Amino acid sequence: MASQGIGASVLRNEDERFLHGRGQYVADITLPGTWNAAFLRSPIAHARIKSITIPDDLKGRVFTAADMTGVGPIVGISSLPGFRVSEYPVLATKKVRFVGEPIAVALAPERAEAEDMIERIAVEFDPLPAAVECLDARKSGAPLVHEQWPDNIVHQAEFKLGPFDEMVKKAAHKVTRQFRISRQAVMPMESRAALAHYDARQDELVVYASHQTPHLLATGLAKFLGMSQRRVRVISPDVGGGFGLKIFVEAEALVAASLAMRLRRPIRWIEDNLEHLTADANCREHRHTLTAYADNQGKFLAFDLDVVVDGGAYSIYPWTSCVEAAQCAGILTAAYDLPSIHAKLATIATNKPPICVYRGVARPGVCFSGELIVDAVARAIGREPYQVRIDNMVRPEQMPYSTITNKLYDSGDYPESVRQAVKLADVDGIRARQRRGETDGTLIGVGFASYTEQTAHGTSVLSKWGVELVPGYEMATVRMTPDGDLVIEVGIHSHGQGMETTLAQIASEVLGVDPKRVKVKFGDTAMSPYSTGTYASRSIVMAGGAVATACRTLAKRIAVIGAHLLQAKADDVRIENAQVIGPKGQVDFSALGRAWYLHPEDLPPAVDRGGLTVTEGYRPNPDSGTFSYATHAAVVSVDPDLGTVKLIDYVVVEDCGRRVNPMVVDGQVLGGTVQGIGTALYEEALYGPNGEALTGTLADYMIPGATEVPDIKLAHMTTLSPWTEFGIKGMGEGGAIAPPAAIANAVNDALRVLGVEIAETPITPRRVLAALAAAGKL
Amino acid sequence: MKVTLTLNGRPIEADVEARKSLADFIREREGLTGTHITCEQGVCGACTILVDGRPVRSCIALAVTADRRDVRTVEGFDDDPVMAVVRRCFSECHALQCGYCTPGMLVTARDIVTRLPNADRARIRLELSGNLCRCTGYLGIVNAIEKAASEIRARRP
Repeated sequence: MASQGIGASVLRNEDERFLHGRGQYVADITLPGTWNAAFLRSPIAHARIKSITIPDDLKGRVFTAADMTGVGPIVGISSLPGFRVSEYPVLATKKVRFVGEPIAVALAPERAEAEDMIERIAVEFDPLPAAVECLDARKSGAPLVHEQWPDNIVHQAEFKLGPFDEMVKKAAHKVTRQFRISRQAVMPMESRAALAHYDARQDELVVYASHQTPHLLATGLAKFLGMSQRRVRVISPDVGGGFGLKIFVEAEALVAASLAMRLRRPIRWIEDNLEHLTADANCREHRHTLTAYADNQGKFLAFDLDVVVDGGAYSIYPWTSCVEAAQCAGILTAAYDLPSIHAKLATIATNKPPICVYRGVARPGVCFSGELIVDAVARAIGREPYQVRIDNMVRPEQMPYSTITNKLYDSGDYPESVRQAVKLADVDGIRARQRRGETDGTLIGVGFASYTEQTAHGTSVLSKWGVELVPGYEMATVRMTPDGDLVIEVGIHSHGQGMETTLAQIASEVLGVDPKRVKVKFGDTAMSPYSTGTYASRSIVMAGGAVATACRTLAKRIAVIGAHLLQAKADDVRIENAQVIGPKGQVDFSALGRAWYLHPEDLPPAVDRGGLTVTEGYRPNPDSGTFSYATHAAVVSVDPDLGTVKLIDYVVVEDCGRRVNPMVVDGQVLGGTVQGIGTALYEEALYGPNGEALTGTLADYMIPGATEVPDIKLAHMTTLSPWTEFGIKGMGEGGAIAPPAAIANAVNDALRVLGVEIAETPITPRRVLAALAAAGKL
Repeated sequence: MKVTLTLNGRPIEADVEARKSLADFIREREGLTGTHITCEQGVCGACTILVDGRPVRSCIALAVTADRRDVRTVEGFDDDPVMAVVRRCFSECHALQCGYCTPGMLVTARDIVTRLPNADRARIRLELSGNLCRCTGYLGIVNAIEKAASEIRARRP
């Protein structure tokens, strides 16, 4: 058998069921007697609720905050100094604070009936001025989202690190720009979903939920329902995409769970697309003012960032709304050997939906402003932007490298990723073509963006972020079945990342088993070790490390039993291809399973009492995270008459250490990159001047389709992490980080001849034309 | 309203509400949950099925419009040799991740390789413009369809 272990592009174990329509998502599960829930949501961004009138015939089928005593409010607390706590009621109490906030819920056998019932509830509002644009909401005198607060500042902080003042004095160049990143919806193809029921036999609340972090959801449900965690079980079956959306405790799930307990009836809520686009958590909305200080050659001396993140109306549990802005200082140095920074960070409450931590979290925003300022510096001093990048980057011989912001970069050759991208994007060819000009009047440009991505960061990092749930040792249980196959149980989740295959490959690497004979199970809190779940590009490093550790322990026990069956010494046997091989023969794993489970009379006297089931924990040392990195290059064509931007070419050169399954890695990079292209060019959750949601359908909120993206060129470098199992680095989010910056830099390169720059996403024709008009070039 | 239709080769008679979508009918009444629903307005293509052999958005088709028609969902291709090739190519080209858009993608992909066996990559992308995928970035899907079309072409005399 060719190696099916680490490094093999093994076809995925999970594909078979999906290809036959046999995936099982929450909406596919029906329990007898289920009532479906429809939520009445606020049409107004900010208002007092004067009255709610429910027709008599709907009583007992429609519920409001008055029925939710003891449920919630949802409170996400950060221990960062000065953080202001918001109380997020599961159904609105006296006020509504965003369009889409749930006010009441109706239950009926069919969703359509429940929606009919919602239509008959009358709510009288006393509208209040809304805080909509976060920069306005920060000002004194702005409408207060939480009237008990003195202002709308959820959290703010300031950092000055390194010899900042000295560097500023030394600088020959000072370049300042303002940047805006639009608000986005995450838009997984499967929306949020929850189906709750009470299991009387177990005296247990069971919640099926579309979730990346089922254990964390169970903890949150118990907390906000006032139940013991012993009585709460969460099952996340197949999940149709997560991307950071499905990692918090949603109000709707709490309402469904509380009503399921109260009515002793399964309650199901399936978020529809309108709810997702207008009422679910948003992400990404940043406002930056960034100044770069550089010497004559373009060597960066200092970055000075002022960032405001629109945190929406409430903090989610457990991540809070400030976890986005609070990361912006730490990641500001990016791939550069930067001696000093100054950063002011603020999270501002507005009358918009809460924010979540979408793929890349704060990085796409900081990469956008940071990499655009790199190009602005390069233009100011008349050098190729890629050369300025290479000159400023942390060099491989500096690894491991501690940034001025206290991140420990573990390994990599950042400049080489730029050099490879320059070649693949054919910069010389593009420059020649630019000199010739386009016959159709369009302008072409090439742009680069590089990033580092902290992945699989553990206790030492997250305990400083002030979040309530800090990951520790990641656990995996590996057990051999009586017929010699393996079952792996982990607390992370997989919703596209292929963990049912890649974790099996890691087991194969250690024990030589065929990945097809390894069943990887997750998603059920009753049948997996506790884990904070899948987020922060952590699962392959953390759960993979745990699986490897458990398999090694299992290997020792297997060797002892196998040696006994072979009448050899344990030191004289080895494990290969799911067999124990001794000096004079071999036994299959099936013989070991048979011996332990069915014929213990065949076991050696000194056998390990743990048998063929092993649970082990894993944490890299140090656990400060392993850093993947990449350089993206975009080639665009801009039509200066229409303002349209067309992607002609797109290149990714990435390094995520050892690739467990190169095919899966490619899929993650490509998928992330196309989401980043959406951020760059198309996606914008728009709100009107009074906070009204304007993008409620996929015709208004556009995500990239197959025609919007070119055949992306992908190249890999492989620099192992010195401190993870097999040198693996996390990489699930990375693709989404760089495209907004690379594409904007390419657009600005194209528009350079006109002296025009774009500094806002998405780069829509309207924005391009506005920038041209502002420069008098239209 | 009474409807009579063929669903995956099986004759069906049902009494449906006039407002019931074909997607909801298939999923809720017939328990065929392979047809997935995302946008409910005909944009994303997750619910694409075949009606009388042509791809249809089942979320914006009413169940009553399926009266006297032949309806085929992702569960109804187990004996279909073209779909068998498309499925294998989807797995080999990593054309699926979370699996949610996959049933609709497969129906569209089968339609492309059947109707346009010589389609180039640009045409494949154009034909895919009614099916959204949030995971793969489409490259694997385009590769899978190109590969399936080429295999099917090679089999023909």
